[in-house]
Amino acid sequence: MKRRAWSLPAFAIALLLGMSATRAIAAAVDAPRETVEADVSTRSVSITSGFTGTEIIIFGTVENSRQPSAEAGTYDVVVVVEGTPAPVVVRRKARAGGLWINSSSIRFASFPSYYAIASTRPIDEVSDIAVLNKNEIGFGHVRMMPSGSSRNVATDPAEIAKFREAVIRLKQRDGLYVTADYGVSFIGRSLFRSTITLPPNVPVGALTARVYLLKDRALLSSYRSKVELERAGLERFLHAAAYDAPIFYAAATIVLAALAGMASAFAFRLARR
Amino acid sequence: MHVYLPIAEMPVNVLVFLSLGAAVGFLSGLFGVGGGFLLTPLLIFLGIPPAVAVGTGAAHIVASSVSGAVTQYQRNNVDVKMGLVMMAGGLAGTFIGVEAVRLLRKSGQFDVTVSLIYVTFLGVIGGLMLIESLTAWSNTRTGGTSASSRRSGQHSWVDGLPIKMRFNRSKLYISAIPPAVIGMFVGFLAAIMGIGGGFIMIPAMIYLLRMPAAVVVGTSLFQIVFVAAFATLLHAVQNRTVDIVLAMLLIAGGVFGAQFGALAGERLRNENMRILLAALVLIVAVRIGVDLVLPPAELYSFSGMQGGS
Repeated sequence: MKRRAWSLPAFAIALLLGMSATRAIAAAVDAPRETVEADVSTRSVSITSGFTGTEIIIFGTVENSRQPSAEAGTYDVVVVVEGTPAPVVVRRKARAGGLWINSSSIRFASFPSYYAIASTRPIDEVSDIAVLNKNEIGFGHVRMMPSGSSRNVATDPAEIAKFREAVIRLKQRDGLYVTADYGVSFIGRSLFRSTITLPPNVPVGALTARVYLLKDRALLSSYRSKVELERAGLERFLHAAAYDAPIFYAAATIVLAALAGMASAFAFRLARR
Repeated sequence: MHVYLPIAEMPVNVLVFLSLGAAVGFLSGLFGVGGGFLLTPLLIFLGIPPAVAVGTGAAHIVASSVSGAVTQYQRNNVDVKMGLVMMAGGLAGTFIGVEAVRLLRKSGQFDVTVSLIYVTFLGVIGGLMLIESLTAWSNTRTGGTSASSRRSGQHSWVDGLPIKMRFNRSKLYISAIPPAVIGMFVGFLAAIMGIGGGFIMIPAMIYLLRMPAAVVVGTSLFQIVFVAAFATLLHAVQNRTVDIVLAMLLIAGGVFGAQFGALAGERLRNENMRILLAALVLIVAVRIGVDLVLPPAELYSFSGMQGGS
């Protein structure tokens, strides 16, 4: 009897312990993963004759955020806005016969024409090189492969790296490669936003916006969207004319120029009378 | 106030480019030159891509040379036949020049070639002009008569060439080859440099063809109209480098500037004016030359491939 009296509460305790353990395990397995959902304030940007650059806002939310507050820093978010990749030729000047002339060149098959990156922290604190390279996060991690027709350049990677750095430097100088280390901010436990400035000289063409959610240097989720960047109105008409009907375009330019010249000659003669 | 240029693909300040057109127009009205040799380097200095500066410069030359040619034609200062012969050569030269621009751009040597040609021609012409105008100036000071460059009955190798033609207005009976070759050479340079070429052509017409001074300027302007129009057409079709908005800004400023320049020019003595022009040409040559020789701040440059969106 004594033994039974002891075993019943023990069994109950064991049962309770067991149940809570199972529940804890189940909870760990079923915890919804954090994912990112984002969008761009402007899906299409028009370049008109008055275009002097614009701003786009990229905002989003961390689904199932377990961040206690906006300042907790549990998650890192990186926003990348990239222009259409295009081939580019990089040239280096050298002294020849007292003059500085372009002597060596490398052709990169594809190079983003514009690259803006904003993040909650500097990107090297956000993740590791492998992740940054794989997702092309950051100027230094964008894939830029040299292709054929390079001139007077050893295939030495150090030399290629110099050319690559030069393009990045020149693009930064032109305001086309921009970085904002603390450009993404959380507004609440899960809501974040970032402002990306498109400079006036932004190359025309579709832009890609990418958003990455990271935690403890590991990539959790990403999101991708397109932003159209097109000429509009008169700008579109003139550019299309110059490319699709160059003879008509040239004729119009010549006639306008000749008329302006004649008008000024006659106006001048009248004024002198 | 800004406007976005459709071909240069950049916004520019309207007032800056109107004033640039006006300033260059003023100088061209003052000195009776096209002003392309000033305009193209200044456009490049203001950030316009060199090839667009050259192509658009051609359109600007159409306007300024039409303006001058109309006035000269009304004063009967144009030898139309001579102009047409030079034009024939000029069109061929322009064609070769525009093709050279395309090939040089492809090989990355366009900028340095243009700079070298600028330094060479501006240096030589500016130097000669300076020497000549200083001599004339000291002659008028000492009361001596300026030496006539044209002596009747003088013969040179030019007289031995075939295809002789009679040029009534110039009172010349010479072979058509020298004017055609001069036209071709100047057309070639004009297409590469984005200039009209008057400052090379006028000395050639005076010293090589021995044309009377009265018809030189008018005839040169007359043929520049057609050669510049052809250059505009080729730059637009082959290289897509004519920016119509930029051209109109420069022309609008230029036509006003040229009128004021011409008025101001009437108050300046001829010799003094030539010394000033020579100095101006030499300053541009030295400025471009310095950039070729001094170590550049940035060794690297990049360009996109043609046919971008």
